[in-house]
Order: sequence, then C-alpha cells, then structure tokens
Amino acid sequence: MVDLIVLSLLVAASLTVLEMQITVEQVLQYHSGSLQPQSSVWFVKFTRDHSIVVLMNFRHPLFVLLGGLKSLGMWQEEGHGDLCGPGPRGLQERAFTIIRALLLFSPSPVLQERVLEFYSRTFSVYMNQEGEAEDGAEVTDSPEGAVCPGCAVPTQQCWCQDALKQLQELSHILSKLQLLEWVSSEAVTSILHKLIEQRMEQHCRGEYERSFLLEFQEWLELVLGWLSKVFASEVHTDSLSGSSVLKQWRCHMHQFFCRIYVNMRIEELFSIIRDFPESKAAIEDLKFCLERTNQRQQLLTSLKSAFESRLLHPGVHTSDILTVYISAIKALRELDPSMVILQVACQPIRKYLRTREDTVRQIVAGLTGDAEGCSDLASELSRGDPVTLEMQDSDEEGNDPEDWTPDPTDAVPDKMGSKHRSSDIISLLVSIYGSKNIFIDEYRAVLADRLLHQLNYNTAREIRNVELLKLRFGESHMHYCEVMLKDMADSRRINSNIREEESRLSEEDQPPLSLSAIILSSEFWPQLKEEKLELPPVVCQAMEAYTHRYEKLKAMRTLSWKPHLGSVTLDVELEDRTLTNLNVSPIHAAIILHFQEKSSWTVEELSVKLGAPKELVHRKLALWQQHGVLREEAGGHYYVVETGSSKEKMERGMMLIDSDEERDSNTTTQSEQREEKLQLFWAYIQAMLTNLDSMTLERIHSMLRMFVATGPVITEMDINELEAFLQRKVREHQLLVSGDVYRLPKPN
Amino acid sequence: MASQNMDPTAAAASSNAALKGNESGSSAARGSVSKRLQQELMTLMMSGDKGISAFPESDNLFKWVGTINGAQGTVYEGLRYRLSLDFPAGYPYQAPRVKFVTPCFHPNVDEQGFICLDILKDKWSALYDVRSILLSIQSLLGEPNNESPLNTAAAEMWDNQDAFKAHLHLTFQK
Repeated sequence: MVDLIVLSLLVAASLTVLEMQITVEQVLQYHSGSLQPQSSVWFVKFTRDHSIVVLMNFRHPLFVLLGGLKSLGMWQEEGHGDLCGPGPRGLQERAFTIIRALLLFSPSPVLQERVLEFYSRTFSVYMNQEGEAEDGAEVTDSPEGAVCPGCAVPTQQCWCQDALKQLQELSHILSKLQLLEWVSSEAVTSILHKLIEQRMEQHCRGEYERSFLLEFQEWLELVLGWLSKVFASEVHTDSLSGSSVLKQWRCHMHQFFCRIYVNMRIEELFSIIRDFPESKAAIEDLKFCLERTNQRQQLLTSLKSAFESRLLHPGVHTSDILTVYISAIKALRELDPSMVILQVACQPIRKYLRTREDTVRQIVAGLTGDAEGCSDLASELSRGDPVTLEMQDSDEEGNDPEDWTPDPTDAVPDKMGSKHRSSDIISLLVSIYGSKNIFIDEYRAVLADRLLHQLNYNTAREIRNVELLKLRFGESHMHYCEVMLKDMADSRRINSNIREEESRLSEEDQPPLSLSAIILSSEFWPQLKEEKLELPPVVCQAMEAYTHRYEKLKAMRTLSWKPHLGSVTLDVELEDRTLTNLNVSPIHAAIILHFQEKSSWTVEELSVKLGAPKELVHRKLALWQQHGVLREEAGGHYYVVETGSSKEKMERGMMLIDSDEERDSNTTTQSEQREEKLQLFWAYIQAMLTNLDSMTLERIHSMLRMFVATGPVITEMDINELEAFLQRKVREHQLLVSGDVYRLPKPN
Repeated sequence: MASQNMDPTAAAASSNAALKGNESGSSAARGSVSKRLQQELMTLMMSGDKGISAFPESDNLFKWVGTINGAQGTVYEGLRYRLSLDFPAGYPYQAPRVKFVTPCFHPNVDEQGFICLDILKDKWSALYDVRSILLSIQSLLGEPNNESPLNTAAAEMWDNQDAFKAHLHLTFQK
C-alpha cells in the first residue's frame, strides 16, 4: 500500500522534473536565438528573468513533493507505518535521494551557468549594500546617476531587494533538497576566484608601496557575509554544521587569496625588486602569502627567467646589473631569510657578471663611492662590521630544514659550501669571482690611479676607504694599500725637506724649475705602464739634482724616475700672447720645450728626440695645435704660431674634434695582468717539464701551487683554468700530451 | 709548505749548520731559506735564459733538478746534461752541492759527477744564486780549467778538440 503511494509519488515527481527540464530548455531556446549580440542591459534583464526561472524551476517540484511527503507522513502517523520497513524518516530520505538523482542525473551545463550568473548578480547586490558607505560617493557622482550599482539597471527598476530575497529562498530550497553544496559550491568557487582576481588587478597590480593584506582581510570578511547568505538554510540556521561550512569557506577564500596574490607578485617580482626599498610592503605581503602556498619553485623559475630576459643581455650596463643585483639581495633577504631564493635565483646574475670585463672595476668604483648611481655600496661599506653580520647569518642557519633545497647542478662549488649563505651585500659581490684577492688587486689599481692622478698628496678620503676595507677584508690584505698611502705621506715629507734645502741655496744655484716627486715603493704598487720618454736636459738635470738630495736624505736608496707619469704646469709665452697655467702631461711639456730651441720640427725629429713612437708624438701634438700654439704645414713640419690671428682661432674650433686622449690609466689593465700571469706560469711549467720530463695535470697544478710565489699580481690558478691553458699549449704544439701526462716536445 | 716536508738528509745538514754556529733556530732559518729559494726560482723563471733550467724535483724545495744544454760553438753543443742541486739548511751562506747526474766527460768533472768549480767551493758567496751557478757550469763546459783536472784523460784530450768531440759524442749517454 505504502509502496504504491511512494511509487505514485515518484512518478509525479519525475514528471515534474521532466516538466522542469522542458521549461529550462524552452527558456533557453527562447533566448538562444538572440543570445550573442545582446547589450548588457538586456543581458541583465535576462538574468533577472532568468533568476526567477531558476527559482521557479526548483520551487515547483518542491511544492509538489513537499505536499506528497506531508501526506506520506500523515499516512504513517495514522498507523500504517508498520507496514513499511524503514519507517517514515527512511522513506523521506529515499524520496529525496530519488529526486536528487533525477534532478541532477545529467546536470546540464546550462543549469550551472545560470546558477553562476544568479550568484554573481546577488553577490554584487550584496556587496553593494554592505559596502554602500565606501562606494556611495561614486554612485551619486556618475552622470547617469540612474543605474543601481548592484543590479545594474536604472534605479527605478532596482530589484536588489528581490534578488536578496530570491537568494534566501533558493538557499532554503536547495538545502531542503540537500543540494545546496552540490549546486552552489562550484559556482561560488569560480565567482570568488574571479572576483579576487579582478579586485587584485584593479587595486594591487603595479602598486608595491602599500600593504594590501589588511585591506583584503576586511574585504574577505564582507564576502563571508554573502557566503553566509548563500549557505544559510532554514534547517540548520545557526547550527554547528552551518558555521563549520562557513569556516571551511573562509579557509578556502584565504587560500584563493594567497595563491592569486602570489601568482600576481611572482609575475611582477622583477619590477618589485627593481624598486626595492620602496616596494618593501609588497615583499612583506608576498612573504606572508608565500608561506601559505607552495610556490617557491614557481617563484624561482619565473624570477630566474625574468632576470635572464630583462637584465642579462649586452644592452644593459654593468652598473645597472649590479644595482639590480644589490636590490635583489636586499629584497630577497627580506623575502627569504634562509637566503635560498637569493642564492638560487641570482646564480645566473653572478654567472653573467663573471663574463663582464668591467664588473670588478664597477664594484670597486661603487665601494669607493666613485660610481654614479651606486651609492648603496659605499654606504654599505661604511655601515661596516661584517663580523657581526656573519655571526647573525650563522645563527640563522639551520632554522628551517624544510626550506633546504640542494644547490642547482650548475652552482659553482664555492669554498664556503652551500651551508654558508651570506646575505652581506659586499661579501656576495666580492664572492662573484670566488676570491677577494682579485678585488683587492683591482682596488689597488684604482687607488694607484687616483693617487697618481691627483698628484697632491691629499689622501684623507683614501685613508678612510682603506680603513673601511680593512674591516672587511682583514688587515693583511690591505697591507699593500697601506704602504701606498704611506708612500704618499712620506713623499710629501721628503718633498718639503728637499724644497727647504733648495730654498737655502744661493740665487744662481736655484734649480731652473721646481720639481715635486711622488716616491713609490715599487714592490707595493701595481705594475705601472712602461713608456719610453726622453725628457729635455733641463728636466733631467732637475731630476738628477732631486735624486741626489734624496740619496743624501735616505742613505742606500735611490730614485728611478718614470718620466712619462706626472703633470707639468707651464706658461707658454708667445710674441703677442701668453697662455698661463696650462696643466699638461710630461710628453706635452717635452714637446713644447723642444720648440723653444727651434721653431720648426717634423714628427720624425721629435720622435727621435723624445724616444717615443711617431704616432704617439703626432697624437700629442694635437693638443698644442688645439691651443693654437703649433701649426702643421706641408711635409709634416710643425711651426710655432707666434702671432695668433682671428682666422687661426676659427680653425682652432675645428681642431677640437681631434681632441686629445681620454683619461689614460697609469696602471696595467686586468687583461694585461692576466696575460702576464699566464706567461709566468708557462715559464714554470716549461722549467718543471724540462727537468722532470713528464707530469700529470694534478702534479703540475700542485707544483705550481707550491712554488709560484703568489703576490698581488700573480694569483693562484685553479685546476680547470690550468687544464684549459695546457690544452691551448698542446694545440699550439708547444706541449705534448700522451695519456694523462704532459711533456715538452723534443727540441728541433 | 716545503719546510714541513723535511728531507732527513737536509735535516741532518741543518743540525750541522746549527752546530757550526748558526745562532738562529733551524726552523726559523729554514723558513727564510725556503723564501730565498722560492725567490731564486722566480728569478730563474723570469730570466728566460736559454739552455739552463732548474726546478724542485718534488715538494721539497731543498732538492732541485737542473738541466744544462751545451753552449753553441763548444764541443758540448747539442748535448743535454741533467744535474742535481742540493741546498743545505745553511744556504745561502753555504754553497749548494751540485753534481752531474748525466755522466759528463769533462776535465773538471769526475766519474761520480762531482764538479770542481771554485764558486761551488772556496769562492762561494751568498750573492750567487741558482741561475749564476748554472750559467757558470754551462761556461765551464766550454772553458775547462785544465790546471787542476779531476779527469786527467779528458784534460789531456782537450787540446785536440776534434778527438775530444768524437769521444764525447761516442760516450754520451742520456
């Protein structure tokens, strides 16, 4: 009997369901013809209509069913219950199950779509009402003024209230059907995703100076209010299960938020790093979110490729690469105190910097505060005290074993090993080359250059720098530089001594020109450029006199002059004009001095006189032409222009193009030094193979390590470098290799 | 470096040197000797002299192997001699012990390869170095001192350069 009733009920139900599906399809067919090119207003209207359709579709079968169930319940209460097995409750369950099954036997995508639309609409309605305070101003300001921001139809026709009511109704129906979760979670998820993304695009993209965490937190709480409406049900109103569902959604939402935020920031990380000190807020946000998502790997890959495509190509100046690298160190140090990200992501930068010739020079320039734009390094240096920095690092070590990732396979096996990750900017920069010696050498060269160029014994700034570097690199490494500075101080003293002595001489014994010298201890200074230059006798005499006095002052020592280095201040007196206080190089001065005795010279004659190559002399003559003192005439003859005419001055303007040299460096360049080093190593290798016949690569390497006195110029050679060098020599037939032993080819 | 890997014979020599009134501690002296030898090696490498060469034979800086090519225009031209150089701990105040490893038929070289050269004996001075020793031996090959020969047969044959050269090349063994 009961079964029969149930059966009939089910038939009724299935019929309604069928009916419902037909309705839906009808509605769709009705609209599908004109679906694509609709205006948004129409679409909104359609949505409104449709939201009612959706609601009706659910409401109609439900009423039928509920009616049936009610009568079913009555039947049972009247005592017929014992006839059926599972009892009224079980029966009800079964009925629901069958309805659910029928309803969602094949959930049409259209249904999902409609649900999605409906929820989006109600969401914006809800958010509009809740967030009225903040958005209210905008509404009144908009020129139309008539569109309700919630339901996007003219205010007169606003159906916001209806929508909310409908939402509540739908929720209740669905929860009664126990379909709430099933129908809405997918829609809600995608809505949340889309909205968070949208909001983030609008508010956060490109905006690194503000933290968005709190702002979003508040917003998410608002959204949670809407969710509570969606998942509200008559049955479970403020029961435990309802709030646990909400709790779950809250978790989901935070997860969405973090993930979307991290995704966006990962894309923008390069720009964030570039702006670092200003973008600290973004980094902190990212750090917070990154800890909640598992996207470190993604971040690393993306950052690495960003570096490679945006930074590491020939179009970027080395100093800019360094600037970004420094920002990256600072930023990633905030982001990941374990320094793993820093180490791995910056590997390509370090590798690339190693291939740039001027990296060391740029870093050293930065350290000494010479470089424009790289003031960071200088201030970093003066912040000083690396010892405490290192200590902090080692304390932090091992904090987070979970974070450990192996070094990438292409990582340079540095001496410190992967355990030691320094965050100290200077140590990191210096370690690009694996050894600080190369930096100290470069610094020495820069220092030498500066001291030799300024020629005024004034070393206050350099002393400060050397002291700071001493804190960094240790006393012993800066020893050479200290000696150089001491040389300057000594020179000043010796110079004033000699001057004093000279001033005590009688009038006719006074030297014809006043000569000051900087006396360098040759052992400690970098290799100076060798250039031959014969100075005019007057100058030579002055130098001799100076040497003589020096020898008297410092017994057992003498001076060996570098005639091509230095500067000369002179006045050129011509018939009608005088050029005063010209500051020129010794060779310029020597050239013009020769014109004092003879007013016409050829380049060849001058070249012989000066002992300098013709091209050089020719180049140097340009300066005097530029000053209008000399004039070139046919046959390579140069004449003194005793009377300057205005016409000549015109020509002088033209001469400026042929202007003289850039600021030459006095010291040998790095590549020259490298070549010199290789030459020396080759001499050693030849000698050991001559005397010991044949040797393996390892033996040669260890012999070199043992016996080559490494100094400031000669640094160690690692075994790979050595192997490459030996192979080069083999290719040049200067060396034979058989098996793994090297030998020299037999003479002739 | 090398000073940690003491050769027992060199160590004995160093204690000898200490007995002979070398006041400073032998290890300290050894350090400075090592430094000097390293410096000499560097000088030798930088000099680029043709026909002479030397290098420590192992990680012991106190034992070197030297190579001398006979100078052009002498009967020794085209021959190549290996030598051993042994530096006492008292170096450079004591002369190094230098001998031929390759047998050398020469008026001033005996069958064991010992060399009779004044600067290696009584005329030794701390101003000499490996380079000057090797250059001296190279020139000794072409200009023997026949006054005090160690190898009288060679000294007698010296005047007949052709015969000497023939004998020399016949008996030369690497």
